[in-house]
Amino acid sequence: MFIQKYNRDLNVLDAAKQRISFIFDNYENVIVSISGGKDSSVLAHLALLEANKRNRKVGLFFLDEEVVYQSTVEQVEYLMSLYPANTNRLWLQIEFDLTNATSFEESQLKCWEKGKHKKWMRSKNPKNIINPPWGNDVIFRAGYKWLDFYGVIENFERMYNNTAFLVGLRATESPNRWRAVSKNPVYINGETVFYGTQKPQNNVSYYPLYDWNFHDVWKYIYDSNLKYSKIYDYLFKKGFGINEIRISSLIHERSFKSLCELPEFEPDTYNKLTERIKGIQFAQETGRNAKVFKAQKLPNNFKLWSQYRDFLLDTYPYQDKKEIFIKRFSKHRENEFVARQQVRQLVLNDYENNVPVINKEDPRIELINYYMEVL
Amino acid sequence: MICIGNKLYDKISVLNDYLSKNSIHKIYVFSPDKIMTDFKIDAEYISYKNIIEYEYFYRLLQEIDQYSLLVVDECMRTQNRNDLTYNCLRHYINQAGHIIIFQYLPIISDINDFMILFDFDTKSQWKREKFDKELIRQSCIKVNTIDLSFNQINIDTPENIILKYEKEKSKLFSSIGLRDPDVIPRNLYLITGSEKIKHIKDDYLYVARNNRFKYNNIRTYRDVVKPDNYTIFEFPHNFIDFTDFLYSSQQLSFSILCTNIKVDQWYTDRYYNWLNNLRDVYSKIQ
Repeated sequence: MFIQKYNRDLNVLDAAKQRISFIFDNYENVIVSISGGKDSSVLAHLALLEANKRNRKVGLFFLDEEVVYQSTVEQVEYLMSLYPANTNRLWLQIEFDLTNATSFEESQLKCWEKGKHKKWMRSKNPKNIINPPWGNDVIFRAGYKWLDFYGVIENFERMYNNTAFLVGLRATESPNRWRAVSKNPVYINGETVFYGTQKPQNNVSYYPLYDWNFHDVWKYIYDSNLKYSKIYDYLFKKGFGINEIRISSLIHERSFKSLCELPEFEPDTYNKLTERIKGIQFAQETGRNAKVFKAQKLPNNFKLWSQYRDFLLDTYPYQDKKEIFIKRFSKHRENEFVARQQVRQLVLNDYENNVPVINKEDPRIELINYYMEVL
Repeated sequence: MICIGNKLYDKISVLNDYLSKNSIHKIYVFSPDKIMTDFKIDAEYISYKNIIEYEYFYRLLQEIDQYSLLVVDECMRTQNRNDLTYNCLRHYINQAGHIIIFQYLPIISDINDFMILFDFDTKSQWKREKFDKELIRQSCIKVNTIDLSFNQINIDTPENIILKYEKEKSKLFSSIGLRDPDVIPRNLYLITGSEKIKHIKDDYLYVARNNRFKYNNIRTYRDVVKPDNYTIFEFPHNFIDFTDFLYSSQQLSFSILCTNIKVDQWYTDRYYNWLNNLRDVYSKIQ
């Protein structure tokens, strides 16, 4: 068994530079995934500096979901323009399905849908990759008959061999994800690398910023005089807590809450979004309501979460996705603790299981039994 | 340095002594609003609820240095050792040259609560460790034991009240539905109050969960009470409310009104257990 040793004498910036240098030493092809957020901006900048030093190129990969903040688009454009001679512009604007957690009537947004260019949030940029680079040779994820966000990423990565994909994942922001990606180390030229995940075709995902904390990221942005998305400033001014100040997508299961502030931050983006897809106004008004998307309080019409869940399943409009829910729920325990989480998945239309259900005994029952005994 | 069991004048004395021996450029006092204390020193007072606010967080990270003294006063407010407020405090503490932690009682209810204070004093080096008698020697702990005692005053309960209690109990269990199960003891406890209220004396002070009887001599746990001699009319459900009350009342010996209804005895036993637990903690941290 390996025991990972952590060098406490090295600061996180120097450690990240060493890691990126190591990756450049070992891979001819390096691609950074960027989202327009602070972490991936820092990672892209560090990788670009290394590429510039070596007179090489680094790919900046941005999967454009169409329904994103204008500030995100501007930030990605800024990153692409920092070191043009060292940048491979991998900005994908292609058609794929995105979960719309805000509407059952239109539960999927087909980003960049052909024939609907008049409704697109903005025009495609001819400098970007505007047709699927894998042509007709598309593969779908297991259990899927359509191309979703992760499906696009899989197809994209499948086009490469022996390539390092750099991701701005930080352990403190998502300990569970970090544990999942780092449990199997990567072996590269005699070295065991713990901050990476082996992928097919000898590709590897690396996380050079894994040990950074959020203030390390902001310090780097300040020290390097980097631009960052204006959304952070808006969130700061609104007094959001440290763990809430993040840029995310606008309509999927984990991020619909961003819609609540969108009209204040980017009124034009909000206007376009309301015309682009259904459910936006409703989610904007109710995103923080405990009885709606958060599923924290049971609506008055129901006595039990299991009743509410069954109602949602009965009235679910899409048979193919309904089957996914039924199959998944059949493996769960039958109690109110689990049923509430199943309701949340249904309300958010989370057929992809991005907000998973904790499948265990209802802790309330144990406590009620205890009270029955002693009181 | 962790100072347990200090009253205000002890705290001022500890602070003055520390300031006379160290070169301090600026003092920051972190404390909950409810019990914010004026230490009669030139300091910036920051409310517990503001610790996580950006307007404080970034400024303090820029300001706090080796010559800063952080006074963490009665800041153990939740048992979650990884609470966001604690995490922000740790960031401040990691940059500061001087820390003094004041806490009246060393726990809220569990011995591992003490590790929250220990983390503050050791810059979170041992944040993953549970309470360990040897480990806490890494910290300078000054303990002034608060020697509490309870004296139960029994009240006989008429049969009709017991019947009412049983009726209410079955109603609560059958209708609990999706509500918080703690509603059961909380609501049942209220029934005993209607019996206890017949036994209170005009010239005594009492402390109860709320002001439902509108008596002038009953205070609630939400009040910031003055030091005096209070009889416990009923206990609060959450221990933190009781520890706050102990801090502001500074009382050591308590009489407790207790009927022979099961829920009353359950609450009283629960606090006797808490007291034993507290005594056990004192023996382990000295």
